[in-house]
Amino acid sequence: MFTRREVGTLILGAGALSMVGSLSKANAADRPSLNIAVDNLWANMATINGISTTSRRIFPNFYDNLVDRDYIEDENGLIFAPKLATKWEQDGNVWTFTLREGVKFHDGTEMTAEDAVFTLSPERLWGPKPFEPRGKTFTAGFKRVEATGKYTFEIETERPDPNIPSKLTGYIGFVVPKKYYMEVGVDAFGQKPIGTGPYKVTTFRSGEIMVLDAFDDYWDGPPPVKQISWKIVPEFAARMAGLVSKEFDFIVNIPTDQEAALEKYQGVTLKRVLADNYPAFAFNTRPDPEDNPLVDANLRYAMVQAIDMDAIVQALFNGTTEHPAVPFNFKEYGRFYDPNLPVKLPYDVAAAKELVAKTKYKGEKLLWHITRQYYPNYEAAAEIMIEQWREIGVNVEAQILDNFELVYRRPYHLMNMSMSSDFIPGDPYQPLWLDWGPTASRSTATWKTWDPSPEFIELGKKFDAATDFEERKKAYLALSEEWQRITPGYYMWKSVYNCAHRAGIEFKFKPNGEMRIYGDYFKFV
Amino acid sequence: MTRFWLLKVLRTVLTLWFVVTFVFVVLRTSGDPVVALVGADATPEEVEQFRQLWRLDDPLWIQYFRYVMQMSTGQFGISYRDGREVIDIIAERVPWTLVLGIFSYIGAILIGVPAGIIAAIKRGSTFDNLIMTTAVFGFALPNFFLGILMILLFSLNLQWLPSSGTGTVWHLIMPAITLATFTAGTLARFTRSAMLEVLDKLYIRAAAAKGVGYWKRIIFHALPNASIPLVTIIGLNLGELIGGAIVVETVFAWPGVGRLLVTAVSSRDLAVVQGLVLIMAVTMVLANLLVDLLYGLLDPRIRVQN
Repeated sequence: MFTRREVGTLILGAGALSMVGSLSKANAADRPSLNIAVDNLWANMATINGISTTSRRIFPNFYDNLVDRDYIEDENGLIFAPKLATKWEQDGNVWTFTLREGVKFHDGTEMTAEDAVFTLSPERLWGPKPFEPRGKTFTAGFKRVEATGKYTFEIETERPDPNIPSKLTGYIGFVVPKKYYMEVGVDAFGQKPIGTGPYKVTTFRSGEIMVLDAFDDYWDGPPPVKQISWKIVPEFAARMAGLVSKEFDFIVNIPTDQEAALEKYQGVTLKRVLADNYPAFAFNTRPDPEDNPLVDANLRYAMVQAIDMDAIVQALFNGTTEHPAVPFNFKEYGRFYDPNLPVKLPYDVAAAKELVAKTKYKGEKLLWHITRQYYPNYEAAAEIMIEQWREIGVNVEAQILDNFELVYRRPYHLMNMSMSSDFIPGDPYQPLWLDWGPTASRSTATWKTWDPSPEFIELGKKFDAATDFEERKKAYLALSEEWQRITPGYYMWKSVYNCAHRAGIEFKFKPNGEMRIYGDYFKFV
Repeated sequence: MTRFWLLKVLRTVLTLWFVVTFVFVVLRTSGDPVVALVGADATPEEVEQFRQLWRLDDPLWIQYFRYVMQMSTGQFGISYRDGREVIDIIAERVPWTLVLGIFSYIGAILIGVPAGIIAAIKRGSTFDNLIMTTAVFGFALPNFFLGILMILLFSLNLQWLPSSGTGTVWHLIMPAITLATFTAGTLARFTRSAMLEVLDKLYIRAAAAKGVGYWKRIIFHALPNASIPLVTIIGLNLGELIGGAIVVETVFAWPGVGRLLVTAVSSRDLAVVQGLVLIMAVTMVLANLLVDLLYGLLDPRIRVQN
């Protein structure tokens, strides 16, 4: 029983709470709106069919992950924080997740385990004919996803997988409402998406604009902005002029050579972040065309040793990014990263010439397929590299093509590509095994560039199965060594994402390019 | 007369058939839409699933037959990119393009034609030189360059006009001027040449001898006779109203048909590209038909001949 004083305290408390509620609603009405000029918006905003750099930027504003990466406490985001899931635990092959209660989707319905299970279900991601087929890539090893209560569900995998919470920090962890999704279908969902995030999508015209309105029933409280308009402004001069003249609060994708000019304007703050992504090129290591000189590993080694990538990165990016001297030895991998790892193929023109001499290569033209203006500064870097290869007697011609379909058409000897490194935060699984393994597109597609060696597959399986850190690190190093022995590609630099905002804003830009307009990532000052 | 119209209609249908076939062939030989749709890292299995979903695994002739049947019944299909009806996507862009196109088109006529007339009647004068230099500058300056220059001057430095987008009449000014500059320059050159050809004709001198006033001679005697080439060029520009502003719409983030076309082509959204090209072709064909009709109205000899 409550005493009279306790009842009074409760009433006062309830009154105070209701005042806080009405205060926050009053403040909510006065919140400013934001205009953000972007270079592009992906046409589909479904969580998996809509995967792209441009949608990743926006997704966390209207979708929530089950598990979050905390970039405030750790710049590499290697600390996991509860989001829609508040608790998770592993028991052998089974992970049990407990969901946050009282979370609402933008249509007012409550999020339950049924939605989380549907989000990760075979019918949506990994069955024979899933709604979003690319989900298979991220759900390898999934065996069963099942609700065990209104707010609990289990994921069973074929063998113990310590990385399930990590995987749920990515695209597959964005929870979608089952009922609405099934009612409208995947394509319509991609046009009018509903999530549990702090903002709800009110307008989306692909190729033009996306408008998000504050979702004041957000489980973590009303967001700081009333409305965010993401407008496509393809021309950089217009984006820059709009920011300087205060039409826009944010602009994104500033060409490297324009950064200095932009920074000269008063009230403009430029933000750069090193992204978990690496532009690269693949050597075609297969005898297709039949006379492909690159089947000889010595020629591939020579070409790698002829590249002065540190100088290229310095020239093109003015020192704002870096070249990973040892493939897969990336700083974002925390305990896996070793700054003292030896560089097997350092820049050495004399050694490169000797290696060329060991081959049967006689100056035949090698074709390098490059997608036009797809990766910033790629074409410029290619021009320099072609000159550096010319010095060792290797004749490469860059063929700049309009789209990937043309890039994939044989014959070619080198091909542009990029690789992300963040599918499992703090673990080299994605770039080393998911992207180069026997099921990866570069090992299976008609345009495949290599056939993984039996040793690589064997070592990869060991790495994939290793759960203990020391064992996994050892397996990773062995797998990386085998990759370097073959050298089927070359990682060029860590991508740089940038944006700029007007004065009066404090903003933390995330390495995966996310622009979170809420929480500790964004505030008006 | 019936034969004349039947021939016109037949020619129109043939032109449209040629256009839709050409677009079909070019789009299918210049890149795989599925690869553009699912991204570079999709596995062959994922690519195949999308191919089946969009029925791109059917033999080419079946795809062509389906496509021609759809086009002939006015069904443009569904966009591969966002799953919406193509006609809806195009319909929401057309008004923006028309606003920009009509505004700049009327502006270009109001500036270009009088400028050409003045240049012709002041032939060899400073006025003539000034107008023709400006006209050459107008049609020689690339759209994107003029557009960016205007953004840097009026938005970035002077901050008088919005840099891009829509919303107010101020947003229309820079894209309309950029678009009109080329047309006005072209019209001024054509008008001058056409007027010069007729100003020395006997009937103009006869009108002067009869005491017809100077401006009356220019407006009612010279201009109608000089208008055939002008109508041709104005008609061509009218036909380009729908698709002619690709660069300007991109530079100024104007949400019109031109920008839609750029996006659709780069993402190999076959249904949208096909729909757009057909609409542009129809506009051009109709504009040509209108020009043919105007010829008859303007020149009785053509009317009689028909």
